[in-house]
Amino acid sequence: MSIAIAPRPAQPPARRLTAAARSAFTTVPPSVLLSFIVVLIVLLWSLFPALFTSYSAVTANPADKFLGPGAQHWLGTDDLGRDEFARVVYGARSSVGTAVVAVAIGLFAGGLIGLLAGFVGGWVDAVLGRLVDTLLAIPGFLLAVVVVTGLGFTTLNAAIATGIASVAIFARLMRAETLKVRHSVFVESSYLQGGSRNYVLFRHVLPNAYRSVVALAVLQLGSAIIVIAALAFLGYGSPPPASDWGLLVAAGQNDATAPWLVYGPAIVIVITVLSINRISRWLRKTS
Amino acid sequence: MTDLAIAATTQPSAPEAGGWARGRPYFVYALQRLAQAVVVILLAYVLSFVLITILPGNAIATTLGNPQSGLSPAQVRNVENYYGVTKPIIVQLWMALSRFARGQLGTSLVSHQTVTSLIAGALPYTLKLAGTALLISLVLAAVIAYGSQYLPGKWARSVIRSAPSLFLSVPNFIIGLLLIHYFSFQMHTFDVLNPDSPVGTFFAGLALGIPICAPLAEVLIANLDHETGQEYVLVARSRGLTQARLFARHLVKPSMLPAVTMAALIAGELMGGAIITEEVFGRNGIGSVMYQAVSNQDTPVLQGIVALAAVVFVVVNLIADLLSPLLDPRVRLGGGGRREVATP
Amino acid sequence: MATENKLKTGDGPAINGFAAHAQTTSTLLRVDGLTVAYGDQTVVHDVSFELARGQSLALIGESGSGKTTIARTVLRLLPPEARVKAGQIKFNRQDVLELGERQFRPLRGRELGFVPQDPSNALNAVRTIGSQALEAAALLAEGDAAARRERVLETFRQVGLTDPDRVYASYPHQLSGGMLQRVLIGLAVLPRPALIVADEPTSGLDVTIQKRILDLFAELKESLGIGVLFITHDLAVAAERADALLVLKDGVVQERGPAAQVFAAPTSEYARELQADVPAVNPDRYRAADPDQAQSQAKSRAKSQAQGEAPSGASQIEVRSLSKTFTVGDRTVRAVDDISFTVRRGSTHALVGESGSGKTTAARLLLGLERPDAGEIIIGDQSVRAHSRGQWRILRRHLQLVYQNPFTSLDPTWRLERIVREPLDRYRVGGKAERVERVKEVLAAVGLSESLLHRRPTHLSGGQRQRVAIARALVLRPDVVVLDEPTSALDVTVQAGIIELLFRLQRELGLTYLFVSHDLSLVRQLADTVSVLQGGRVVEDGPVQEIFTRPRHPYTEALLDAIPALPR
Repeated sequence: MSIAIAPRPAQPPARRLTAAARSAFTTVPPSVLLSFIVVLIVLLWSLFPALFTSYSAVTANPADKFLGPGAQHWLGTDDLGRDEFARVVYGARSSVGTAVVAVAIGLFAGGLIGLLAGFVGGWVDAVLGRLVDTLLAIPGFLLAVVVVTGLGFTTLNAAIATGIASVAIFARLMRAETLKVRHSVFVESSYLQGGSRNYVLFRHVLPNAYRSVVALAVLQLGSAIIVIAALAFLGYGSPPPASDWGLLVAAGQNDATAPWLVYGPAIVIVITVLSINRISRWLRKTS
Repeated sequence: MTDLAIAATTQPSAPEAGGWARGRPYFVYALQRLAQAVVVILLAYVLSFVLITILPGNAIATTLGNPQSGLSPAQVRNVENYYGVTKPIIVQLWMALSRFARGQLGTSLVSHQTVTSLIAGALPYTLKLAGTALLISLVLAAVIAYGSQYLPGKWARSVIRSAPSLFLSVPNFIIGLLLIHYFSFQMHTFDVLNPDSPVGTFFAGLALGIPICAPLAEVLIANLDHETGQEYVLVARSRGLTQARLFARHLVKPSMLPAVTMAALIAGELMGGAIITEEVFGRNGIGSVMYQAVSNQDTPVLQGIVALAAVVFVVVNLIADLLSPLLDPRVRLGGGGRREVATP
Repeated sequence: MATENKLKTGDGPAINGFAAHAQTTSTLLRVDGLTVAYGDQTVVHDVSFELARGQSLALIGESGSGKTTIARTVLRLLPPEARVKAGQIKFNRQDVLELGERQFRPLRGRELGFVPQDPSNALNAVRTIGSQALEAAALLAEGDAAARRERVLETFRQVGLTDPDRVYASYPHQLSGGMLQRVLIGLAVLPRPALIVADEPTSGLDVTIQKRILDLFAELKESLGIGVLFITHDLAVAAERADALLVLKDGVVQERGPAAQVFAAPTSEYARELQADVPAVNPDRYRAADPDQAQSQAKSRAKSQAQGEAPSGASQIEVRSLSKTFTVGDRTVRAVDDISFTVRRGSTHALVGESGSGKTTAARLLLGLERPDAGEIIIGDQSVRAHSRGQWRILRRHLQLVYQNPFTSLDPTWRLERIVREPLDRYRVGGKAERVERVKEVLAAVGLSESLLHRRPTHLSGGQRQRVAIARALVLRPDVVVLDEPTSALDVTVQAGIIELLFRLQRELGLTYLFVSHDLSLVRQLADTVSVLQGGRVVEDGPVQEIFTRPRHPYTEALLDAIPALPR
């Protein structure tokens, strides 16, 4: 039986990169590409809002109040004559940017807890498990309300609270993945080749365990945006003139004559989260 | 797939991990879980206490010191003593815990009712809403799961499979606003001014239930997929079973365990979502109690609500955990078989 | 199942005389020009064969040969992605592919039975055996529930289950693999089908149990006149049991004909290769390749036998009265019970046994992966019983392990070069450049090209992965290599390549092997001395020739008996 396969000539690294990029373009479904573009735009809104609109989100302009959507104002104007689209763009920072903070907290704190609990086991696992259960028992929404009441009504505080609440889920997943890898054959094999516990943890267990956790992080981003929007909607985030998307929807609700003030921000929220969920599904399918 | 679905399938307290599969008798397992549940409830209370009292701003003193509160200085001192405001934090915590253990949640700083009675008054409305939403989401999830397997046509099946993801992308308050706008303002199916009517409750339940059915549907779909791919389904089909009988006899039961676990986790989402939905639909319930408490900085009430939420969640999950061995004999009889729960 | 683009083909390629004879009145199943594809990958190409009533036909092939697909197509249980591109299947003169699902379904179970490969997964785990058995009994459409239960119990007795009532009330995970397979065979046979399709019905089972299951098949076939379509990768088993053989490779028929004929004198190249690779056929295959070694070994053995002392080579490993007990819940299992054996330097010692024999536990004790409860292990000249982790680490430079499953023993996120280099890194051998050189050297020694260095394991085949695992085990230049069933996860032809490699490396590098296996005929090819284990105890011990020609213990005889008797 032939042993050696016909050797493919080793490609230079640069060639390999472009080949990878090309295959990415052809294998990524169009809806996912579209989703990436949407997410990129929203992230850019939160970083460089001034690039996307020349209007101000804050300065009142009563003469232009309650204009419907049109060429001048893509999403119309609100009761103070402010361009709604500009308000949405400027609101991205606290609607989406803070969500990124929330997920970062959950990912790193939760990931670390899960890794330790899964790898060390024993009483460490039991104690950490109870802590995680506790976090899980308190609905994230309630936790955020409590924190905001105590620390102050800013969207960032709400995001931090949401992040703390999500630690539980990240910890659970990381723990499960760690346990799975820890008992796999190649880990035992590494011990036989002279690996130490730390070495195995960081070189074998972590690289195998983190993939689905990252996919979860993307999913949580969408979920965090929704929770933060809900909090803002009820007034538990930064007060006006901040333009959190949830707050915009709440404000728009007050005026039945200007439905675009509700639909505009609502559609932006839905499309953003939809895109993020699409990316997350694709990530999970390809991991 | 949703974060909750992940949480459901990676639950360490589930029978698979730690102890149960070793064939210990059921009552030992039940006791263990009960003990864990009690610990978690206490810890949750401690956490809420820590958050409220350690955070800057001593609400009790501020609220009570406010001349508008209508309390005489002597009364204020009484309340302060009750809460031990001048004592060190640890002592306050101990006092609060012992009150909690006895079922006392303190008194509202504003309305002078006990927190327990405040909550008890509002709870039935919230339960009605949550119950309706749960029912709706169970039905929706079952329909979606069944359709994902048996709808004719590949395209129809893949459309229904992406439904949960869509449901998750729309915040429940937006769904609520849409429902109100269309069914109340336009169709006059229900009156916004009478939100507690059955029809009103139904729509509120719909707004709450639609996003909630998503993780449940996802877990069901994932498990149905997993089970359908198993060898025994092939063997059962080789015995000439029709699709319907196959589903009923072989696919439903194994999927029950993860579904129950999932439903328990949903309890948390239901509570948070109920509060939001009550605001949107203008209903009575825990939501309005909480809203008041936040604007008045009424910390004992807030703490009481958090404690309630934690207790409900822990109890529901405890029941689910105690039920699991009954749903899966491999677990109950301490067999060597490993339960493979599909992660969606 | 819709069959689109179906062409009516004529008779397939020339068939042997035996099949033409069967065509008269007793043709049960006739497959003509069957072509099946998954998406755009064709898995079965223009396959034709016939099966007469009461006969058995074996479809032989390795993984990817299409044999399972053919079996599933006959039952019309293909997954939705599969399409029958061409061909006819006639069952009892009825064109089966033309029928609608509703017309075909009554045939399933009643006329066409199925016995699956993995019994532990073949029954719904959350229902009792009895409730599932009633589904099979319902196919007979006679009598009420009580009568059906009786039929089921009767069938259980017929297949050799000694306590039918207990089996009826049990859940699947409470029964052993062999018992489950009997249940499945019983359920398939209960409705008295004309044809049973058996998809590798014994591959997960122990050898002795395998023999009994195959005997059961033969018995049922005789007494009930059922035709059997037998899918297997094991040419020897097929040759012993089936009336006719069909050899498949990559979905194409390589050869077909009466079993004895195909096996004794294969005409196609692939069939010849398969036949040569069957360990039982050629026990001295590797030894014969090196006549010098065979001669010198024979000489030294003769000399030491004459002198009445131990053969040449100091013992590398000595195990004395080793015991290990495991506690699982409230059950205690004596995995290893007072076993002793010796491994001589430069030789290969085999531990042979079925599941539960303790052979894997013994190997793990030897490597320090478990701690013994009692007994001595002497490696080289040191007793390792009380070794600390640090001491074990030092020892493991000279004692390495090759795992059974190459699909799980390599980290999927690492590249090959790093995988093989890991032991050198951990033991800080030489400088970076030197390590890379050693890696290249050892990869060449196991026959892998250097271009694979930057690949990940997922892109390699099973055989290639196992070579990587062997390379990794050898890179430290150990003295002893423990091989835990290194080929049981691989196809037969790949297996032969690995065994040959191991043999060659032992010669070149002077390695000592401890070879753990359940396959006696494989052991005969490779080992010098053997310990036969059963239930944690050594029942027989000695040079490999002795064990095979003059077995003393009844269990050894049973194991030898289970090796398929090859038609001459």
